[in-house]
Amino acid sequence: MNIRILDSWLREYLKTSASPQKIAECMSLASVSIEKLESSGGDWIYDIEVTTNRPDLMSVVGLAREGAAVLPQFGIEAKFNAPKFEKPNVDKKLVPTNSIPARSRTETTVGKIEITNDSKLVNRICAVALEINLGKSPQKVSRRIESSDIRSLNNAVDVTNYVMREIGHPVHVFDYDKLAKTGKLIIRESKKGEKIQTLDEKEYVLAGGDIVADDGTGRIIDLLGVMGTLNSAVDDNTKRVLLFVDNNNPVRIRKTSMSLAIRSEAATLNEKGADPEIAYGAVLRGVELLEEIADGKMISEVLDIYPNKPKSISVTISEQKINAIVGTDIPLKTSKKILEDLGFQTNIIDSNIKAKVPSWRLNDVQIEEDLIEEIVRIYGYQKLPSRIPAFETGEPFSLATNQFYWERTVKDALKFFGFTEVYTYSMFSEDLLEVSTDDAVTIRNPLDSDHVYMRTSLVPSLLEAVRENKGRIELKLFELANVYIKKQKNLPDEKLKLAGIYKSSTSLVLDKNPKASFLDVKGIIEALLEDLGISAFEFKPTESGAFGAAIYIGKDSLGEIEQLEEDLIDFEFDFETILKYATLKKVYKPISKFPESIEDLRFEIDETIPYEKIVRNIREQSNLIKDVSLLDIFQNKKTFRIIYQSYEKNLTNEDLTNLREKITSVLKSKFKAEPA
Amino acid sequence: MEHELLKIKNDASSLIIAAEDEQELNQIKLDFLGKSGKLTQLVKEIKNVPEERRPEIGRLANEILASVEDLVETKLNELRGRKRAAVKKQILDITLPGKKPQAGHLHLITQAIEEISEIFEHIGFTRVRYPEVEWDWYAFGSLNFSENHPARDDWETFFIDAEPDPRMGPMILTPHTSSGQVREMERRKPPIKMLNIAKCYRRQSDISHTQMFHQFEGMAIGDGVSIADLKGTFDFFVHSYFGKNRKSRLRPFHFQFTEPSVEIDVSCGVCNGRGCRLCKGGWLELGGGGMIHPEVLRNGGVDPKKYSGFAFGWGVERVLMMKEGLELDDLRILYSNRLDFLEQF
Repeated sequence: MNIRILDSWLREYLKTSASPQKIAECMSLASVSIEKLESSGGDWIYDIEVTTNRPDLMSVVGLAREGAAVLPQFGIEAKFNAPKFEKPNVDKKLVPTNSIPARSRTETTVGKIEITNDSKLVNRICAVALEINLGKSPQKVSRRIESSDIRSLNNAVDVTNYVMREIGHPVHVFDYDKLAKTGKLIIRESKKGEKIQTLDEKEYVLAGGDIVADDGTGRIIDLLGVMGTLNSAVDDNTKRVLLFVDNNNPVRIRKTSMSLAIRSEAATLNEKGADPEIAYGAVLRGVELLEEIADGKMISEVLDIYPNKPKSISVTISEQKINAIVGTDIPLKTSKKILEDLGFQTNIIDSNIKAKVPSWRLNDVQIEEDLIEEIVRIYGYQKLPSRIPAFETGEPFSLATNQFYWERTVKDALKFFGFTEVYTYSMFSEDLLEVSTDDAVTIRNPLDSDHVYMRTSLVPSLLEAVRENKGRIELKLFELANVYIKKQKNLPDEKLKLAGIYKSSTSLVLDKNPKASFLDVKGIIEALLEDLGISAFEFKPTESGAFGAAIYIGKDSLGEIEQLEEDLIDFEFDFETILKYATLKKVYKPISKFPESIEDLRFEIDETIPYEKIVRNIREQSNLIKDVSLLDIFQNKKTFRIIYQSYEKNLTNEDLTNLREKITSVLKSKFKAEPA
Repeated sequence: MEHELLKIKNDASSLIIAAEDEQELNQIKLDFLGKSGKLTQLVKEIKNVPEERRPEIGRLANEILASVEDLVETKLNELRGRKRAAVKKQILDITLPGKKPQAGHLHLITQAIEEISEIFEHIGFTRVRYPEVEWDWYAFGSLNFSENHPARDDWETFFIDAEPDPRMGPMILTPHTSSGQVREMERRKPPIKMLNIAKCYRRQSDISHTQMFHQFEGMAIGDGVSIADLKGTFDFFVHSYFGKNRKSRLRPFHFQFTEPSVEIDVSCGVCNGRGCRLCKGGWLELGGGGMIHPEVLRNGGVDPKKYSGFAFGWGVERVLMMKEGLELDDLRILYSNRLDFLEQF
C-alpha cells in the first residue's frame, strides 16, 4: 500500500525541527519506506510504502506517532501531538424530535433513521446526522487530499476522505433525506445476483455474502466498506447528511473488493483491518471539519453501536531474549522508551518488560518476537554488528552424486556442442498437451488459455521455440526442466528432463552446413554420455514407434531421439537415469610399449546388416584388435579402420596378414561380404 | 674397414644433404645411427680388427659418428629454419574471420543461478530443490499465513484442480521458495544452512512480472543465530555479487513467516547512491528476509527455545537485472525463446 501526504499536514501532529529529507531518511530506516520526496508549491509530499500489517500507518496521525518514536533514536528531538476530540454539543432545537415518536427512539436510532446491525458483519458503527451547506472545500482541505491522490468533490465528501487520511479510518457520508424515506438501515449479507449501482454510476451484480445496507424494502443502499451506492449518495441537492463510520469484517471486504474489482481506498484499508477504537474519534473529527468548512450543525446525537470490542493483549519479554535475537546488547531502559513512544504501556519487572499492546496494533503484535521487532527497528538496524554465521553444518558433500554438479556439466557440454539453452513455461495449452487432459496436472484458475496444463514433455515447448525462430537456418536448442506426472491423491511426480532439438536446412546454395541428420544427434548424445563417464549405453528401436532410436543404459531407458522432419530431430531424456549412471570414477589402462598398426579394410556388404553387428564380429576375432571404427560409407561399401596393438611384442607383417584373413573370412561366411 | 667406414660416411652425408623434410631426415638417421643402422652395425665390427689397428680405426669411427650426428643436427636446423621461413612468406590477412568452434549460450537465468550458488556455497550453504507443485501447508499453512491471507486467494496463487489433502490442504503451484523452509527442517536437524533455488509461479503477467519466475531462498538455523548473522550474510552476498563498493541497508518490513522482518536495499550502481531515475533515492530494493517465526520453526519440528534462524527469499530475475543494469523493457522476453535475445549472453 502506498500513501502520499503533505509535510505540512504531518507537522500538525509531529513537532520536530528535522528537515523533510531527514524525516524521510530516518523513517525509511526504522519505520516505513519513504520512496520519494517531492517538492510541491513550497511544501513537500512524502510518497510512502506501508506494509499490509500496518493499516494504522495509512494515516497522518499514525505516521506522526512513528516519527516521534523514530527521530529521537537519531538524536533529533520530536514530539507526537496526539489528536484530542471533544464530544460536541447538540443543539436540541435542531434535533427533529417530533418526527420520531419518543418510544421508538432507541440506542440504534440516529435522527429519524433506525439502524439494525449484524455483529457477524460489522464490528462497530458510529454515526451522526448533520445539516450542512454543500459547496466546495477550502483550498487547504482540497490541496491536502489531492496531494494524497484523492479527488476533491465537495465539502461533505472531502471531509470523509480527509478524516480517513488523517485518522486512518474510512468514513462514509449518506444523503440523510434519502435514507429518511424509509427510516431504516439494515445491515445484512447480500444475496447472489442482487444488483447495485455504485456512486461512480457503475453497475455490479453481487456474488452474495457481501456486507450491504438495506432500506427495509429489500433495496440495497450501501456496499459497506467498499463503496457507497448512487441511490443514497450525496448530490447537488443534499441539505442534510449522515456521517457514517463502519468497522467491518475484513475478510468479507477483501472478497467483495476483489470479486467486483473495486479497489477503493476504503476497501484497501478495511480489508487490512482498521482499528475500531478510533471509529468514534473519526466521527468527531468529521463533525469538527463539517462545522468548520460546511456550516455543519448536528441534528442528532452521535450513535455508537459497538458489539465487537477487541480484547486487550499484553506481551512480556526478557532482556536476555531481546539481546540473543538482536545480536547485540540493548539496555532495557532503551527498549522501554521505544515501546512507550509507539503507544505501548510498559512495566519493567526484574529484567523483563511487560507491554500492553495499543488498540491499533492488536492484529499485529502478539508474541515476544513481535515486540523484538518493534524494539530493534526503532533502535536501528544500522547500529547492529554484521557477521557471517560461523557454524558449519558438517553435511558431507559428494561431487559424484551431486545433482547440481551434473546439471552444470550437461549444460556446459551442450553449450560447447553448439546448443543454446531456453527456459520455457512449465504450463501450456491443451493444443500442446501430449496426454489427455484428464491425465495432466491442471491449473484451476489459469491466467490465460496458453498456460493451463503442467507439461508432461518438454518437446512441444521446444517445437514452439522452433516456430518462434522461423527465419533461422540452423537451430540447436535445449532445456533442462521438470515435467509433471499426475498421481492420485498426491503431489505429481516432478521428473527432471533434458530435451533438445536440432534443426538445420540447407536453403542457401553457399551454405556449408549439411542437413541435420539422425546421426548428428546420435553423435552428440554419444559424446555427451561419454563426457559424463557413461560408456555402457545402447541404441535400440523405439518402443513408441517413433522414427529414431531409444537409448538404454543397462536395463534403464534413458529416452528417445526422434526424427520429426527431414531436417528436424529432437531428443528427450530422463535426468534421473543420467544421474544414476554418471560417474567420476577413473580407470587406468596401462599404455602398451609397442606401437600400434593401422589398417583400412573395405568391404561390399549387405546394407541391412547393422554396423554394430559387423564390428562385434570383427572384434571377436582377436584381442589384438584394439579398435574398429567406420572410416567411410558409400552405398553398400563400408570402409573400416582397424587398429591392432599388442602388449607383448611388435606385430609382424605375418601377424597382420593372419588377422586380416580372419576378419575377411568371418565377414564372408557370416554376411557374404567381399573385400572391395 | 677404414674404407667401409668412409663409404658409409659419404653415403650418409650425401643423403643427409639431399633430405627434403624432417621425416626423411629421421629415416636416414635411423638407417645409419639407429640400433640396427649401418654405421652402428659397422662400429660393432671394430672388435674384429687386428689389435694393433684397433685404436686407429676406433678413433676414425668415433670421428665419423660425430660428424654424421653433427650433419644430421645441422640439416635438422636448416630444415626447420626453411619451414619457418616458408610460413613467413605466406600472405596473412589477420582481419579475416577466425574459424570459431561452434558454441551455444547458456540462459541468463542459468548464469545467475550458478553465480548465486557459488557465492553461498562459499560460506557453507548447501543447495537443495523442493517441489514446484506443492501443498498449501508448505507454501502457506506452515509459514504462519492466516486462513484468509490474500496470498491464498484465487487472484494471487495458482491452484491445481485436485482434491485438497485433509492435512496438507489444497494443491498449488508454489509462489515462493519459502515452501522449502519446513521441508528442509524435515530433511535434517539443525544446524542448517540451506540454499533453495527453484521455479515459482504467481498469477501475474505484465512488463515486470512473469507467471513463472525463479527465487533463491537462504535459511540458516542454529544455536544463537541472530540478526547480526543475517546482516553479515546479506552483506557478504551484496559485496560478492554486486561488488565491494556497493552498500546495503536493512529496513523494517512485514512477512508472515519472519519476525522481525526486514527488506534489504542495495546502493544503486548507476548513480552510486546519489539518486537517479532507476532507483529510489539512491537505493534499489533487493528483497525480503528476517528471523524465522517461532511458529514456523515449530512446524518444522525445531524447538524455538533451543534454536533460532534467519531466512530470505529473493528473485533471481531481480538480482540479475539489478546487477547488470540490463534494463529489459519487458521481463517476459526472458521466457520467450527468441534466439536474437538468447544469443546476446
